[in-house]
Amino acid sequence: MNFGLTDEQKDIQNLANQILGDQVTPDELHKYDMWAQERFNGALWAQLADAGLLGIAVPAEQGGMGFGFAELALFIEECGRVLAPVPAVPSLVAALAVHKFGNAELQAMLGGVASGEVVLTAAFHEEHTYNAYEAQIAVSGGKLNGVKMCVPYANIATRMLVVAKDGADVALFIVDPKDASVTLTALKATTYEPQFNVAFNNTPVQKLGGRDAVQYLVEHYTTALCAYQAGALEKMVQMTAKYSSEREQFNVKIATFQAVGHRVANCYMDAKCLKLVTQQAVDRLARGDDAAAEVHAAKMWLGDASHRVSYATQHLHGGMGVDRDYPLWRFALWAKQNELALGSSTQHQIALGELIAAGNYDIDW
Amino acid sequence: MQLSFTPEQEALRQQLRNYFKDLMTPELKAELNHDFKHEGGGPLWREAMRKLGRDGWIGLGWEKEYGGQEKSPIEQYIFFSEIMKAGFPFPFLTSESVGPALAQFGSESLKKEIIPKILAGEISICIGYSEPGSGTDLASLKTRAVKDGDDHYIINGQKMWTSLAEFSDYVWLACRTGDPETMGKHGSISMFLIPMSHPGISVTQVKTLGSVRTNATYYENVRVPKEWMVGKENRGWGVIMSQLNRERLALVTHGPIVGIFRKVCEYAENTRLANGQRLIDQDWVKMKLAKVRAGAEAIKLICYKQAWSIAQGGLDMAEASAAKVYGSEYMIEACRDLMEILGQSATLHSHSEAKILEGELERLYRTLSILTFGGGTNEIQRDIISIFGLNMPRPLRA
Repeated sequence: MNFGLTDEQKDIQNLANQILGDQVTPDELHKYDMWAQERFNGALWAQLADAGLLGIAVPAEQGGMGFGFAELALFIEECGRVLAPVPAVPSLVAALAVHKFGNAELQAMLGGVASGEVVLTAAFHEEHTYNAYEAQIAVSGGKLNGVKMCVPYANIATRMLVVAKDGADVALFIVDPKDASVTLTALKATTYEPQFNVAFNNTPVQKLGGRDAVQYLVEHYTTALCAYQAGALEKMVQMTAKYSSEREQFNVKIATFQAVGHRVANCYMDAKCLKLVTQQAVDRLARGDDAAAEVHAAKMWLGDASHRVSYATQHLHGGMGVDRDYPLWRFALWAKQNELALGSSTQHQIALGELIAAGNYDIDW
Repeated sequence: MQLSFTPEQEALRQQLRNYFKDLMTPELKAELNHDFKHEGGGPLWREAMRKLGRDGWIGLGWEKEYGGQEKSPIEQYIFFSEIMKAGFPFPFLTSESVGPALAQFGSESLKKEIIPKILAGEISICIGYSEPGSGTDLASLKTRAVKDGDDHYIINGQKMWTSLAEFSDYVWLACRTGDPETMGKHGSISMFLIPMSHPGISVTQVKTLGSVRTNATYYENVRVPKEWMVGKENRGWGVIMSQLNRERLALVTHGPIVGIFRKVCEYAENTRLANGQRLIDQDWVKMKLAKVRAGAEAIKLICYKQAWSIAQGGLDMAEASAAKVYGSEYMIEACRDLMEILGQSATLHSHSEAKILEGELERLYRTLSILTFGGGTNEIQRDIISIFGLNMPRPLRA
């Protein structure tokens, strides 16, 4: 049993924290509010690539650091702490699946992921579906037809991973979103993240794998969102502790009211719990162990804890929590987007319940 | 990071599970299965305690010089979690909180006399802190110890919630020895360790909701030698804090909830409704079980991390308080959800016909409120989180 980080992991964490902390200021994030600019800072993306951070989980022979998901999750947590305007989750998690299931030609793309020149993304959501395994769009005769929704950074992606029906089951495919058969329609997402509806019209695909590949991508992606949100919640709680320790009413700091201090303490516990269940899911995935139940539990915590912490931290800031000149409000946007992305708490609760009913109920390690 | 057990830790857990299966004989279970006797004190319980001592389990985390095994806090936590899961009422405050405080502050002669007996499972010690007028504000306590000549003190006062006093061999007693006006309320308290058989001590029982017996204890002209003082005169507050910090760690373990969750899952698997379907295949049951599990995953990880942090020598006070608050409040909700799955029969007592799962949940729901205020109320724990975990200013106190 070891809850500690290796020296190399601490180095990654510190490096990411330093670069992102310096570059992602409130002024920087303000540029993208109300979709004023595309929410992608290319200079920051290049700087992260130069620092090696985009290649954390890319093999050394492809120019990466050669670490695994445990280290990547630490980087993503730091992205969540500042709401970094870069496609770290879609590109770097999709790269894991390409590395795991891709042929030699696809492996060669990973060097581009590490250098930042190649951006990958993944398409899960469809109209009237609540989790990725319910995909209705289908591949037939090597061609994909149908519409995926809310695909992040589809406009700058070199390749897109798509979960689609393949006969009776779902499978994971890779497509070129620049192909003439693909039509992108820009959406206006609540976070200002560039998202697109993607229509496939007889689009040629390459199959990466069957249901196991879908499960691999979905579990890693879901857990990456948990890591992102664990970083975001820690930041929200810290901001709230600081604000309530400085704000005075009735000639005292409002943090000295137990009603205030206790509500912040509740947020602290929510953030700790999300972090721990996320670490468990990350650790199991990084070791290649069955993590299905642990990922569902982590995503349930993401949704529930993010919801509670989002509204509590806004409330404890008074009007400042919703004032767009103070940096908290954007965290409320991401709390909601990540709560619903890849299935809400209730969806994961349903899925976890199915596993329990199938006999998976030994909680101890 | 490695969030799993080493093969050695896994082997220890398996060894403990088998050991406790043997320890919890039907006769011992029967002795404990009486209202207000669940906490032990009977002859078979005493024999089991001595066996735990002989087999080295009580001294698992203790230094070798006291006859302990010097295992890490991780092994100790595995022991706790498994003994709690097995349902043995281990008086952990004696060996895990009072004992270590005694080793830290006690005189050599007191340590030599008492600690070997603790590790042998021969004695248990009850704690005399709270009084009718002193709970959360413990330093306002009024029980007085007055010097009688150079070598003795005479103690007068009343303590409340003195659990296990009815069969304990010693009381760990906090007394006022100085003037709070001039020395401060924290700087005028001293600690004593006194045999319960000593003249002037009496006990009356207090029956609680959870069929747990506790007590009021009375001290009337109890004359004790100064050698029974633990630590220096008027320096008792530090001794109390040392003991309480250890106590908090032992209050919440994930063993019991993981154990009862498993039993309810097995019950729901093996129970068929009138329509022939398994109970566990009902959508609402699956939802309840998933909710309980997600919460249990968190308490498990909090407890394991705490054990690991202690082993690293760096336990965070705020994290310890978070474990206590989250764990105690979660258990109440989890118990409710699990009882819903069993239905109204969950309310049948362990002595009833047609009881389910030995009536375990019927008693559990009655005991859980103790954890939210015992060992320092959750309000105080939340204060600790905001002060020490988040650097927020202290709440106002009159």
